[in-house]
Amino acid sequence: MNARAEVLVVARLDLAEVLRSRWLIFCLVVHGVLAATFVLVGLRESGVIGFTGMGRALMSWSHALLFLLPLLALTATGQVVNSARDDGSLELLLSNPVSRTAWFVGTSLVRTGALVVPLFVAMPLLGLVGSLAFGQDVPWGFLARGMVVSAALLVCFVAIGLAVSTLVRNQAKALMLAVLIWALGVALIDFGLVGVMLQWDLPPSAVFALAVLNPVQSARLALLSAAQPELSTFGPVGFFLANRIGPSWLLVIGVVWPLLLGAAAWVFALRSFRRRDLL
Amino acid sequence: MNVEVRGLGKRFRRVVALHEVSLQLSAGSRTALIGPNGSGKSTLVRALLGLLEVDGELCFDGMPRHGGGRELASRIAYVPQIAPRLAAPVRDVVRAAAGLRGRSWGAVAALAAQLRLDLDALAARPFRALSGGQRQKVLAALALASGAELLLFDEPTASMDPASRNEFFRLVEGLPTGSTVLLCSHRLDEIRRLVDRVVVLDEGRIAWQGAAETYLAEHAEAVIEVRADGAPAAGWLTANGFTAGLAGWWSRALPVGQRARVVADIGQQLNGQVQDLMARDVERLQPVTKERRS
Repeated sequence: MNARAEVLVVARLDLAEVLRSRWLIFCLVVHGVLAATFVLVGLRESGVIGFTGMGRALMSWSHALLFLLPLLALTATGQVVNSARDDGSLELLLSNPVSRTAWFVGTSLVRTGALVVPLFVAMPLLGLVGSLAFGQDVPWGFLARGMVVSAALLVCFVAIGLAVSTLVRNQAKALMLAVLIWALGVALIDFGLVGVMLQWDLPPSAVFALAVLNPVQSARLALLSAAQPELSTFGPVGFFLANRIGPSWLLVIGVVWPLLLGAAAWVFALRSFRRRDLL
Repeated sequence: MNVEVRGLGKRFRRVVALHEVSLQLSAGSRTALIGPNGSGKSTLVRALLGLLEVDGELCFDGMPRHGGGRELASRIAYVPQIAPRLAAPVRDVVRAAAGLRGRSWGAVAALAAQLRLDLDALAARPFRALSGGQRQKVLAALALASGAELLLFDEPTASMDPASRNEFFRLVEGLPTGSTVLLCSHRLDEIRRLVDRVVVLDEGRIAWQGAAETYLAEHAEAVIEVRADGAPAAGWLTANGFTAGLAGWWSRALPVGQRARVVADIGQQLNGQVQDLMARDVERLQPVTKERRS
């Protein structure tokens, strides 16, 4: 059996596992509830005061997802390797002629897909519902931007979660570390960064670098770059960056940087997985 | 498959799990690996499976473990003591494990049927919803269907019912003569039926190794229990070393080699007075001979 066939076997088994797991259901429910909330609330409000409601609903939803998706990805993958190690499934599968790399690749693909696919279903569905049920003009360009940025962010945090689950053997500690990483990603934007700058007398350039290096912030700026830069929506750091490097570069950075960071975390996790004791 | 272990060492932080373990499993040999909990049995098995990074040398037919890769892995099969609680359906678990070895569902189902398990009826059920014994049967069927030349069994029948255990013994006895078997077990019946050699591990070191027959003679003891009525029976039993228990039961521990003779004596001497009789073997922590010496 060649490497690709091994990956397929692992992926098929992991997909069967994921389809019966609670976190996938939780993930779908979160997407569904958020989408429904923003459609109902956003569109109803727009009907009263005359704004383009669909765009507003999508913008708000995407913005909320940027904070939520990393948490979903980290909690869904932060215990993949260590729980497989603890419950014996890793021992069972890897006692068969399958390489560690094939296991890791197959599992990574399924876990990423399980988070990205519901998003790619829910977002266009939201647009269709807005268009068909409420007669709204759907900003498909913004929708596509939101999907791409969200997917890049998911890929990044799935990889970080896999790295955490590979490096930290204890499941509870891994979950704590995952939540801590999420909290740092969410906290170090705009006012949090300004606070850091003031507390430690950092030069503004260091703060802007930190802002762009934080995948949550870079994704957020990429998403917001679709709109006219305003201090109230971008925050001080984002507003400066949007004016300094422009919306196109913000989009590129917001997609490419999380992907690069995710790729680096994934390669690091794979190398560690291949070298360490599996039990 | 010929397996050579030379100077194997494994340390988990401060705990030494294996220390300079050397042993040889010649092709076609059947060896039991026994020892108390934490003695290093599972670590040794996992090292053979390539799941742990270890010091020392592991050679399979002269080939180092790390150089073997996929080809070597396909020649080794494993039944863990505790089957994982996978949420995936039995069908998917079996197809994945069998598929990696180029085996069909039918081949595994046929062996499962011999272990009194209807795999087709359970195909759609989540693997974790099966009982411990059913899961162990599925894994045993997968290993036996694999065609592997080295079979590593870690207490494979711990959760099986007696009839299925007997079938499992029969299937292992029927393996090709070149198949090498390493069995982690505490059960005397498994050792008696399945192996010809015993290796005892204690605190990560080999404490004893030798013929299974010798091990059984040193560690196994027979216990005969008789339920009999009447003063003549009580007198004869007392005179022959039996101790009175509850509800008319008498018991005596004796060397395994004397069991058949004593059972025959009971039949002759207490004819008509015996209501029930049981004879079973038990394992002693200390070798019987050592205990008697002390």
